Amino acid sequence: MTNKSDASASAKMHATRIKKSVGDHVFEIALIVLFSLFTLLCVFPFYYLFINTISNNDAVTSGLVNFYPVGIHFTNYQNLLNASDLLSAVVVTVVRTVLGTALMVLTSAWAGYLVTKQKMWKRSLWYRLLVITMYFNAGLVPWYMNMLMLGLTNNFLAYIIPGMVAPYNIILVKTYIESIPASLEESATIDGASTTKVFLRIILPLSVPILATIAIFGAVGNWNSFQDSLLLMSSRPDLYTLQHRLYVYLNTTSNLGAVMNAGAGGVNTAAAQSLLNTKVIKYTVSMVTIIPILLVYPFMQRYFVKGIMLGAVKG
Amino acid sequence: MQIAVTDRHRAAKPDYGFLVPYWIHRIVILLAGMMVFFSPVNPGRILKQVNENASLFTTAFSYENIATQLKSAVSRGAIEEADIRAVMLGCLIVLVGVIICAVGGCMSAGNIRMKKRGILFPTLGSLVMLGGLYSIWQRYQAVYTFVTENNKTSRATPITADGAIPPSILAFGIVAALILLTSVLLILLLQRKKKEDRMEMDERYKLFLMFLPVLLLTFVFAYLPIYGWRFAFFDYKIGDELSGSNFVGFHWFQTLVSNEATRSDIVRVLRNTLAMSGLGILTSWLPIAFAVFLAEIPSSKFQRFVQTFTTIPNFISWVLVYAIAYAIFSTDGFINSFLTNVLGRPTSTDYLANADHIWLKMLLWGTWKGIGWSAIIYIAGIAGIDQQLYEAASVDGANRFQRMWHITVPGLLPTYMVMLLMSIAGILSNGMEQYLVFSNALNKDVIEVLDLYVYNIGIGSGQIPLSTVVGITKSLVGVILLFGANGISKLLRGESII
Repeated sequence: MTNKSDASASAKMHATRIKKSVGDHVFEIALIVLFSLFTLLCVFPFYYLFINTISNNDAVTSGLVNFYPVGIHFTNYQNLLNASDLLSAVVVTVVRTVLGTALMVLTSAWAGYLVTKQKMWKRSLWYRLLVITMYFNAGLVPWYMNMLMLGLTNNFLAYIIPGMVAPYNIILVKTYIESIPASLEESATIDGASTTKVFLRIILPLSVPILATIAIFGAVGNWNSFQDSLLLMSSRPDLYTLQHRLYVYLNTTSNLGAVMNAGAGGVNTAAAQSLLNTKVIKYTVSMVTIIPILLVYPFMQRYFVKGIMLGAVKG
Repeated sequence: MQIAVTDRHRAAKPDYGFLVPYWIHRIVILLAGMMVFFSPVNPGRILKQVNENASLFTTAFSYENIATQLKSAVSRGAIEEADIRAVMLGCLIVLVGVIICAVGGCMSAGNIRMKKRGILFPTLGSLVMLGGLYSIWQRYQAVYTFVTENNKTSRATPITADGAIPPSILAFGIVAALILLTSVLLILLLQRKKKEDRMEMDERYKLFLMFLPVLLLTFVFAYLPIYGWRFAFFDYKIGDELSGSNFVGFHWFQTLVSNEATRSDIVRVLRNTLAMSGLGILTSWLPIAFAVFLAEIPSSKFQRFVQTFTTIPNFISWVLVYAIAYAIFSTDGFINSFLTNVLGRPTSTDYLANADHIWLKMLLWGTWKGIGWSAIIYIAGIAGIDQQLYEAASVDGANRFQRMWHITVPGLLPTYMVMLLMSIAGILSNGMEQYLVFSNALNKDVIEVLDLYVYNIGIGSGQIPLSTVVGITKSLVGVILLFGANGISKLLRGESII
């Protein structure tokens, strides 16, 4: 009962087995209507943003694009490519997401495997020290001063290194590895495989499902990262993450469009209706930030669901 | 056969004359390793103008970090860039020495043969450290003579007034000397031990050493910040030095209650925090309702459809939620253009720029973002409930709502209790991101929660000590609440939640 299709299937069973009255039907229809409305509430904002980024910019400014796009064009996205600060934010965020996630997954796999080893010297002490960090933190300012002391302010490495050890993910991996039959590992050890070899040849391939799950969560977390950029990169705007850049744009009241149209240097500026303006820029950057999540989400949904289930049964 | 050997081995009395020097040796190496990240003992800080928060590690790698503070000194000719480079190089040499020592420290966990090989590393490493320190000391003397002779001490202030050896160099020097001393002693002691045919290490220590990098990262990023609590006891601004003269003891803790302005701030912020957390806890049953009612819909396709789309908001950041709020509720957002252009009632109200019902609005945004996701765990819980219970209940004449109330809901309660206790334990930590992005000049008094307050006064207006004090108090209260919640959970369910 740990995945969603089971959940829906058996929920269906108990709903259909019992005879329905008229009242039941009315109740179900009411539920369907309510849930449909809420689903619409969850989806519509994304749709609204999207149609506003691909519509005639004049129509957008006059507030004429409400339910369907008007005068479809994609020049906003092209024009924004000329905004160098946005481009650097995209690059920074992509690199951090790829690198940070990969390192986090490898560290979690390695650490999660090692903490299953009863033989390790003082294992439970180290494990406890690791787990405590999930519930306790020294506070924002001491953390900031620590990063300052380590030279991790205004430094790209601040996005990668602190995220490598993720206690929660280590626990997930540990729990998963404990469920792998010990005999597999034993037979390899008897054949003379070292700890590293057992890890690479047996544990790593067998833990792919859990590693995929934490990778997905890690990637979303990295993509959405905002706070570390806000706190640590104050004098390096070229190292802002995409979320931080978007936050800056959203809070800009001056005319963003004028700057960017000037920067575009005549590219695509022939048509006046495709000229960037503040509102369109804000919407388009939001869309650029959301699209990767929306694209990845449908394929990864089952991993997300698996992740929360694993978290629920952790001991 | 082998077991017998180990047993006899264990029974033998430990050789303390050999083990004790080894432990001292290892602890000193560990100390050297920690000092590398510790800013007060940075041998590279030869001038007071160098960032007080830079550690040896930072100095060795980040020219940016130490040079920015020295720019004016360099431009006035008080110090040459070559001096800075030389000091950085010295720090790098010290760092390499520490790393060599650490390798030896790791090898000391092996058998006698490995120990014999391994002890050479700290011997060499401590010499490298001493060499690096000596080069920094030389450079320091040169710089000292130069600035005092040319009266440039205001631009480049040497760390010691009389040109004596700086304490940080001395501290590292003592540690290096101790490593060297213990190494030589151990070399002599090891002479008497018989060495094996091959280098080997007990599996237990091997595993520990493999795990050591993870522990070090944990230490540096999760435990080392506690060292920052010292700012709570000083009258400190970024760039200041901590010394006896600005030590103020528990002054800032007292300020929390005795200073009128601070106290009213704290009360206001606590009220916001507790109100919004409280609203969250009061509505924490909503995901259960969501799951229970969704399960009543007979079409599994529709269920999956709803689940898919209602979980999306959970995976976008609060900045993006704000972007959406902006697109819908701002002056030229959806609501205004809908009213103006579709219903023909021209308005341009900025619904985000007011403080009305802000607690409720924050709750609604939180619910919009999180309800679909939180419901998943309960949806799976419903699937785990025994179907026979439902059948038996309907045979006994229970109607749909009775079945929901008496079977489904009790089945989900244990999970809910855990969630509830966790949210009570986290009542003070509602995070700052949501409130930061939604805050503006008009609503900042009612939206500022504790976490945001710490950020605003600490990072925003540079009141490091006060925000540290608030942070410490919050951390400690948080730990107490967590243990409290855990105790309740043990009492009620016989299970711990942490």
